[in-house]
Amino acid sequence: MKVLNARKINTLLTIAGYLFIWGPIVVLGIFSFNTSAYGVKWESLTLKWYVDLFHTPAIMKAVLRSLLIASITTVFATVIGTLAGYGLYKYKFSGRRVLRMSILLPITVPYVIMAGALLVYFTRIAHIPLGYPAIIIAHISFSAPLAVFVNLGRMQRINWSLEEASVDLGANTFTTWRKVTIPLLLPSIFASAVLIFPWSFNDFTVTYFVAGVGTTTLPLYLFSMLEYSLKPVLINAISFIFIIMPIIFVLLIYSYRGKSKQTA
Amino acid sequence: MAASKTFMKIKTNLQLLPTVGPISIWIFLFVFAPVAVIVFISFLAAGPIGEILPRFSIESYRYLLFGGSEYGRAVLRSILYAFVTNMVCLCVGFPMAYWISKYGGKFKALFLFLVIVPSWSCYIVRIYALKQLVGYPGILNNFLLNLGFISSPINILYTPAAVVLGLIYIWLPFMVLPIYASLEGINPALLEASLDLGATPRWQFFTVTLPLTKGGIFGGTILTFIPALGDWLVPLLIGGNRVWMAGNLIQHFLVVRGKIAMASSMAVILTAAVVLLIYMFIKLGGEESMERIV
Repeated sequence: MKVLNARKINTLLTIAGYLFIWGPIVVLGIFSFNTSAYGVKWESLTLKWYVDLFHTPAIMKAVLRSLLIASITTVFATVIGTLAGYGLYKYKFSGRRVLRMSILLPITVPYVIMAGALLVYFTRIAHIPLGYPAIIIAHISFSAPLAVFVNLGRMQRINWSLEEASVDLGANTFTTWRKVTIPLLLPSIFASAVLIFPWSFNDFTVTYFVAGVGTTTLPLYLFSMLEYSLKPVLINAISFIFIIMPIIFVLLIYSYRGKSKQTA
Repeated sequence: MAASKTFMKIKTNLQLLPTVGPISIWIFLFVFAPVAVIVFISFLAAGPIGEILPRFSIESYRYLLFGGSEYGRAVLRSILYAFVTNMVCLCVGFPMAYWISKYGGKFKALFLFLVIVPSWSCYIVRIYALKQLVGYPGILNNFLLNLGFISSPINILYTPAAVVLGLIYIWLPFMVLPIYASLEGINPALLEASLDLGATPRWQFFTVTLPLTKGGIFGGTILTFIPALGDWLVPLLIGGNRVWMAGNLIQHFLVVRGKIAMASSMAVILTAAVVLLIYMFIKLGGEESMERIV
């Protein structure tokens, strides 16, 4: 009897947790199809706000900026992170532990600290112009660690004898990398990119500090809309796109995994 | 022998360079250097309009912590809010992780994805979603008013309770993940053994399951306590800039008032708190808690 009660409480708390996590998002999504622009009352169904999005040049520009930044960040962070993961996994060297901890640093310390420090550093010391260069450099610092640890996770489950075999059969380091190591790591390289792209696209805090004037990404644009309480429903529509995006990415991962399982 | 050893060492170093080289340089230039710079600036004196003077001073630390101002209280408030957030996340996150692990069956991955997916979405969008739902004018208030459950709107926005609710909402998923990983890592033989030795399910939970998930619990604590401690958007957007936390002070001094020395001191105080707490959590939770973070 007691076990049953514990189980019931457990189930109830779980349901409550899911409702809490999803409730606000689902409601927001539904209300983005609402006719009334300011109301919190449901009126009728419309796609007007989504059409409006495409007719607002400022929003489209912000989307393009965000996409550009996220693409460049993803390429560089994935490459640097994958290489680092490989080095950390393969070689035992002094300072390996320290390096691992250092790579963890930017993702464990609250963003506001690191972002503030970067702003001071860029403007006072390094003289890196705020805007695209600063945002991309900052984004790489925060997202390359993700690639390192995603790849490290995968490396523990790889059959490394394939790499040795390639060397034994006379392939040089470069050929081994190109023909054996990279194909073996492809799933985790892909997973890193899939993780980093939305991170960079969605990031607010870091971008806010180092963006300067004029480089308004989509989250920054959204923030300014919120601050001045412009058309709530238009905000709902943008928000819904933000929520849909990670779901699409998850489906992407799933389909990719499904494919790699079929070929294996 | 010695020569070949030296040769091997050189060879390893040459292989290291292209792999961990780039990230080492990057971390050094864009993580360590900026942190070093703000630590340095935090010990410099500031002029009347916030400009930095090349003179050693701990004035900004004194002012922030003991100035009898709102600032010291904001730091204490951050620690309190982060603690409450962490505790609530643990009380809801543990049952969720436990439920998924125990009753998830073949849908475990799906249930887990349902926890993580929202956290991949844009941070301010999630805060905004919560605000739209529970605020006034808000959807929930409107709904309850129409049904007659409440006679006047409840406005919880701009209160400490709302800020904590927001923090829980944002960081809850990060508690579930490490605990789930920990639960999945428990050797089932240990659970069977405890039952064979006569433990009741409740006894088994508290003496076997819970201690074995210590790493996950402290891993989750690092992932919720630390970011909640440094959060500045939840207090800004849900607290309406009336309930300040430490992160708001950094943004305020740096962006709004241009007082770099003060902002740096605040950042150093917060970093010190973070490092101390992470160290404590890892000591309490063991090495596993560190592995569960990533």
